[in-house]
Amino acid sequence: MDQQHILLCAAVFVPIIGSFLLPFLGRISLGTRNAAAFLLIAIAFICTALLAPSVFSGQTSGHTVTFDIGTAAFPLTLKADGLAVFVGLVSSFVSALIVLYSWGYVSHYRHQNEYYLEVVLFLGAMMGLVYSANLLLLYIFWEITAFASWRLIGFFREKDYIVRADKAFLVTGFGAFSMLLGFIILYTQSGSFEMSAVTKYFADPAVPAPNFAIALILLGILSKSATLPFHTWLPDAGVAPSPVTALLHAAVLVKIGVYAYARLFIVMLPLAGAWLDVVLVTAAASALVSAGAALIDTNMKRIIAYSTVSQIAFIFLGLASGSAIGITGAILYILMHGLAKAGLFLSAGIIEQNTHTKDITKMGGLIRTMPITAVAFLLCAFSVMGIPPFGGFFSKFLVIQGAVDAGRPWIAGVFVFGAVLTLLYLWRIFTTIFFGDAQAPATEGSRLMVVVVALLAVLGLVGGILVAYPSDWANAAVRQIPGLGN
Amino acid sequence: MNILLLLILVPIVAGVLVLLSRKTIPHTRESATMLIALVNLIAVIALFGQDLPYSHSWGPFKAFSLDLRYYSFSSFILIAAAGFTLLVTIYSWRFMQDRAHRSQYYGYMLLSLGFTNGAVLADNLILLLFFWEGLLGTLFGMIAIGRPGAWKTAMKAFIIVGVTDLCLMLGIILTGTMAHTFKMSEISLPVQGLGITAMLLMCVGATAKAGAMPFHSWIPDAAVDAPLPFMAFMPASLEKLLGIYLLTRITLNLYKLSPDSWVSPALMTFGCITILAAVMMALVQKDFKRLLSYHAVSQVGYMILGVGTALPIGIIGGVFHMVNHAMYKSCLFLTAGSVEKQTGTTDLAKLGGIGRLMPITFTCFIIAAMAISGVPPLNGFWSKEFVYDAALSHHVIFYLAAVLGSFFTAASFLKLGHAAFLGKRDPANDNVKEAPVSMLAPMILIAAGCILFGLWNALPLNHLVGPSTGLAAEAQEHAGFHLPSLLLATLTCVALLGALANHIIGARANGGGLHAADHIQYAPVLGSIYKKAQTDGADPYNFATRVAGYFCTAGWACDKAVDWVYDGFTVWLTRTLSFAVRASHTGSYALYVLWALVGAAAVVIYLTRIMP
Repeated sequence: MDQQHILLCAAVFVPIIGSFLLPFLGRISLGTRNAAAFLLIAIAFICTALLAPSVFSGQTSGHTVTFDIGTAAFPLTLKADGLAVFVGLVSSFVSALIVLYSWGYVSHYRHQNEYYLEVVLFLGAMMGLVYSANLLLLYIFWEITAFASWRLIGFFREKDYIVRADKAFLVTGFGAFSMLLGFIILYTQSGSFEMSAVTKYFADPAVPAPNFAIALILLGILSKSATLPFHTWLPDAGVAPSPVTALLHAAVLVKIGVYAYARLFIVMLPLAGAWLDVVLVTAAASALVSAGAALIDTNMKRIIAYSTVSQIAFIFLGLASGSAIGITGAILYILMHGLAKAGLFLSAGIIEQNTHTKDITKMGGLIRTMPITAVAFLLCAFSVMGIPPFGGFFSKFLVIQGAVDAGRPWIAGVFVFGAVLTLLYLWRIFTTIFFGDAQAPATEGSRLMVVVVALLAVLGLVGGILVAYPSDWANAAVRQIPGLGN
Repeated sequence: MNILLLLILVPIVAGVLVLLSRKTIPHTRESATMLIALVNLIAVIALFGQDLPYSHSWGPFKAFSLDLRYYSFSSFILIAAAGFTLLVTIYSWRFMQDRAHRSQYYGYMLLSLGFTNGAVLADNLILLLFFWEGLLGTLFGMIAIGRPGAWKTAMKAFIIVGVTDLCLMLGIILTGTMAHTFKMSEISLPVQGLGITAMLLMCVGATAKAGAMPFHSWIPDAAVDAPLPFMAFMPASLEKLLGIYLLTRITLNLYKLSPDSWVSPALMTFGCITILAAVMMALVQKDFKRLLSYHAVSQVGYMILGVGTALPIGIIGGVFHMVNHAMYKSCLFLTAGSVEKQTGTTDLAKLGGIGRLMPITFTCFIIAAMAISGVPPLNGFWSKEFVYDAALSHHVIFYLAAVLGSFFTAASFLKLGHAAFLGKRDPANDNVKEAPVSMLAPMILIAAGCILFGLWNALPLNHLVGPSTGLAAEAQEHAGFHLPSLLLATLTCVALLGALANHIIGARANGGGLHAADHIQYAPVLGSIYKKAQTDGADPYNFATRVAGYFCTAGWACDKAVDWVYDGFTVWLTRTLSFAVRASHTGSYALYVLWALVGAAAVVIYLTRIMP
């Protein structure tokens, strides 16, 4: 095992194993536990960051780090390529910020030990999923994230909340099982769960990939990424604590589906023809329906959750366009949306904790008492809307350019309409909460929470001005994908 | 560092610093803003006449290149923008001194200047879009700080301009993809197929920035809500410059628009509707600022009409009209600001008779009002004549619409001047004084500019408009007192005299300047149209949001239907099935044994008959 392999394994297994120690630390000292939770995620981030230089430096697909944790007869490969490292960096970075915010947010609630355990376990499983180069391994990590998110959504243990946690678990679980079935079908044909073996087996044009398996896997992906018609669990999951919704809805969980799409259907088994149309039309419908729902709903967190559903569709647009520009844009979108949407959810958390309501019709005028949160919310909203100089501008531009580049200008037009609706619902939520007559008096949140939110807003701005760096990495990630390299 | 980059970065960095500044020594923000605006003006003038390209890579994509170009057209727009910015900052010093949010006001102003410089200097469509859309933020901010509740107008402005910016984005993407480059100086596409869609989408973005109908409705609202210098700064000058600049680039460089294409008359119709509909609304306004704001919309129509003809003289006229309009309209807004500052109101019913008390303001007003009405030999006269000539070459109907627009423009300014400065004075205004020098100076300078550009129109035509549009020879031909057509000029004068007669008759009949247009407002058919036009429903923005509302309700219903499948149908199905299974478990051993036997038989049959 050389240094790169240690880093790769540490990024995955340090948080997973470490998470189970957190409840014991919690018995000793709360501060130590909180610090340890942050540290575990920070380790995952640092290990990934240390892998980055060698992975991004490469011009070809040769620059990857692979490590097999299985046996010779049954390999289970972990692999770090540009795509994995990029998504891993985004996930662990945003998660680390969310844990910092949680120090303030959950300090008044029960079950904190379990909370930190699940959050760190979730992130560890996410890292594992990102680095999986084996279908079975991917599935195992996939289910760990489902389990952790189920417990986290039902964190407050009220009956209604638990029902909604069950709903999220059942819908994504149903998707996961059908995906597993799809994996097994691929296995029966190619004789291996290793992605590279599957690619090699189906590379021959005479051996078409079975459509039934593709449909089943797609079902799993769409349910995890909360895309129409499997999206309704996501707004319902808004009953979870705000840092959790930020983690699930914005930064990490919904990105699993998108990431899996890129990993399975762009790298492993490139989709073409009618399948791309299916994904694009589904994404378009998802973008419009959820944006419509976001403009009608009055529950703050549900609105932001619908917005996530709609923005995820933009990522699918970039990925399914099939053009290198669109895919680069989609990868960049994962970063920009993660930062901005986490900022929105965490701002919503501050507002909710201080006004004791989620109903936006009962809020108003909060800009006077919560100016920093208000400005941070607005800046994050600008990034989601895609207003320059915020990072969201570039990612939105690139995914739409990708669609046009792939010869689908009409789909691009539909998504521009989706972007118009994005403007509308974000302005509606922002002005209803922060302008107008003050209804519920509220003060600014704790210093740490406000700092995290402000940091996310500033990062959205920095990400736009210095877009050269993340887009360089995204571009490097795309260059490593066979067939798209240039 | 490259001078072109500095032109963009210095105002932006200074803007951010001003925005973040807290309690400062008095006048630091103001003087810093003025200093930056002055330096910016000196820099763009010093560079005049040069052709400076600059290119730097920005990120891994060829398309995301930092291409800037300072050449004849961009230098013209830059100088105009820099000049107006400086004058408005000088004006704002006294106007804004008692108001709150000054850090934000000056910060946004500098940011707007930087973004505008960036958009004009950009030689790459993506870079142009970056700065262009960046102006949305400052637009929102500058309106929102106007007064409590102004955020509604700010949001409306943001949404209208934001939506059209998205159209521009799609247009740019289509254009860039078809041309295989985003570098503006390398793009030259024919107007056909998808190119028409792309070009129209870009035109939507450009004309909406300039404030054409139906994207105009935030401007009259902002006139009331936003701080007044903002109106002279953004809708009257900077946004017009940007919008018409881009429109000209689209029709002249990016696409080869020919006068024979159907797109040309379509643009002209669009321009004519904007002229007439907005001027008719202006005519019946009872507020100084709102009346002016409708003219800010109406005059864009002339520019679109001129550029849309795709004829050399029309393009020259349109671009010349753009700079003329920026001059007289910002001057008019500044006079409105003086009146507001000195009397505390812009309601025409409460004004009147203050012309003697504010003679300099009144004089500037008269000059600018004559310029906008196209009275010879002021600057507006020349540019309108060019546009008329080009419109007539297409079809007489465009010409008639344009002249009718001039008639109403003159009528509404006669009404405005009469109601505000002449007539009976409200006793409350008896102690009104002339505005302070720092507010008068910008107005005097701009008014003098209107006269200069009229009497010596060779200066702008030969040195600015001609080289910018690449039509130097045509511009030279018409410079000086060389009218395109003496007949048309005579007809213009007839129309203006008609407006004067109409005003005198109207004022006599209806009692006073304010009601001089009442006979038009309450005319048989027009009356009912006016009534409808003044309701909320006539605002295209309200109409569009209502349609969006229906769409969203449909989306919401769709979402709820999907959710019912999970929360209702699936639960029902599971319960029904499990109840059915439970009902079959009666507890009877005989029944269970029977099931077991049937099952065993099925297994045996499968294994013996089907498997082999």
